[in-house]
Amino acid sequence: MSTLLEVSGLSRSFGSVQAVNGIEFSVGEGRCVALLGPNGAGKTTTIRMLAGLLKPTSGAIKYAGQSERADVREGIGYLPQSPAFYPWMTGLEFAVYAGKLCGLGGREAGRSAGEWLERVGLKDAAKRKIGGYSGGMKQRLGLAQALIHRPKLLIMDEPVSALDPVGRREVLELIRELKRETTVLFSTHVLHDAEELCEDIIIINKGDIALQGSLEGIRNSYRKPIIELTMEPDEGSSRWARELVASVAAGQGGSNPLLADAMLQGNELRLSVREMEEARSHLLRSIVDNEVKLVRLQAGYSTLEDLFMKVVRI
Amino acid sequence: MSKGGKKGGTSRYGALLGKEMLELARSMKLVWVPLVFVALGIMQPVSIYYMPLILEHGGNLPEGTVIEMPMPLPSEVMSGTLSQFGVIGILVLVLVYMGVVSGERSSGTASLILVKPVSIMAYLGSKLTAMLLLALLSLLCGYLAAWYYTDLLIGKFAFGEFLGSFLLYGLWLAFAMAATLLFSTILRSSAGAAACVLVLLALLSIAANLAPHFAGWLPGALNSYAAQAANSTIEYTDVFVWVIVCTVLLIAGAYALSCTLLRNSATID
Repeated sequence: MSTLLEVSGLSRSFGSVQAVNGIEFSVGEGRCVALLGPNGAGKTTTIRMLAGLLKPTSGAIKYAGQSERADVREGIGYLPQSPAFYPWMTGLEFAVYAGKLCGLGGREAGRSAGEWLERVGLKDAAKRKIGGYSGGMKQRLGLAQALIHRPKLLIMDEPVSALDPVGRREVLELIRELKRETTVLFSTHVLHDAEELCEDIIIINKGDIALQGSLEGIRNSYRKPIIELTMEPDEGSSRWARELVASVAAGQGGSNPLLADAMLQGNELRLSVREMEEARSHLLRSIVDNEVKLVRLQAGYSTLEDLFMKVVRI
Repeated sequence: MSKGGKKGGTSRYGALLGKEMLELARSMKLVWVPLVFVALGIMQPVSIYYMPLILEHGGNLPEGTVIEMPMPLPSEVMSGTLSQFGVIGILVLVLVYMGVVSGERSSGTASLILVKPVSIMAYLGSKLTAMLLLALLSLLCGYLAAWYYTDLLIGKFAFGEFLGSFLLYGLWLAFAMAATLLFSTILRSSAGAAACVLVLLALLSIAANLAPHFAGWLPGALNSYAAQAANSTIEYTDVFVWVIVCTVLLIAGAYALSCTLLRNSATID
């Protein structure tokens, strides 16, 4: 797998606020990469620097096979968070215009625009003014105009977060098709979208990379056995749960070799365990001894969601 | 990527200019801005011709008052028209174009355009071209209308004088448009840009009138040169040449500075 994009030491500050803090990552050719993080993590800032709209305070962005004189924008298609078009243009006119700006000749721009509008499902609306388009239609037009010159890398900023469930599904399906043809990098704050589409994820938080790697690798190496308990909201059960959490917190596992982490939310107790068999029988004994009124007990493995919440909360 | 259909920078400039002209047509600016100039151009000769009649009917004058006004020369009417364009005409043009760059940047369309492999020179150049075309077209329509009515109501006005004063005044409008482009690039606020341009133009005109020896070579002097050209009292001195050269250089400089500022700004969109 060859590297298409290499980012090193990329930083950007706005006044005293450090929005992006020396991040490093690379994007392999043909991969689909999600830039994942909560709101305000620095996703949009990073994306805008990659698209060349914002100058980095320091650091380098290198596209593979890029000679000194070549315009990196030739190889990039970019879809901003909420694309703003000229409302007085029709969808077809804008797509043709975008094609011409990418250096396509008049006839080729027209042909390519027609093809892409058909692919994104805007064939019937192609001759209507963009001012009358819905949010989903604008997003799909945004994809068409970004792809009109067949870029090597498609960069999207929150492509689905402003859409209703139907529009969201449509755009996700489109991205799923497109990622077979081109390298895709998009930002999102929804883990589910990343899990559904991507091979690689980069989780960023407060301008730093919290975690990155292939989705499979991360899922395997961070998969931890967990036990979830639900109790009735009576005094005795709550006290037992609080003491258990306190003992794990105090000993950092030292006094409690079986439990790595414990978290109490209302009547739900989440336990990360080191060794499932022993921990389960130990817990069950403790529950019986302390007459805890158990509603539900479930043993399983942590999800990516748990990991995401954990790295992002730090 | 196919190499066959790729074209150079000029075709991109062409596409950008095509979009600007289409926008002018769709927003009807290509119609109503020249119409404003036509209205201004007609108003001057017509109001001068009917002035005695207007005073007679409008004022609280006693019965039997005789008003006699000497009819002004056609050249005076035409130069008066130019000063009408200088106030309301320029105001309209500046207001139409005050957000020419800042508007696209704040609405977000600039970010769609400038991630494409388009040079900033072509982007701003297409805008300046469209601005100049609209300004000169409006001036031509308005000035022709003034000429027609002056000819009809007041007297003959020669073509040579018409062309000379049109070109000189057109250069002043071109300078105003270049200044609008520059301030719209510098400032994020359209209203701020309009205010700066109008103040700058007013200062230049006043300076040229008050201190012709110091500010006589600045674009502000074009106003009085255009009026002189209409009155055929123009003297082609060294200073006159300087005004032309200086204005052309300032227009080019404003364009170049806009390009540099936009290219070096931290956020392009």
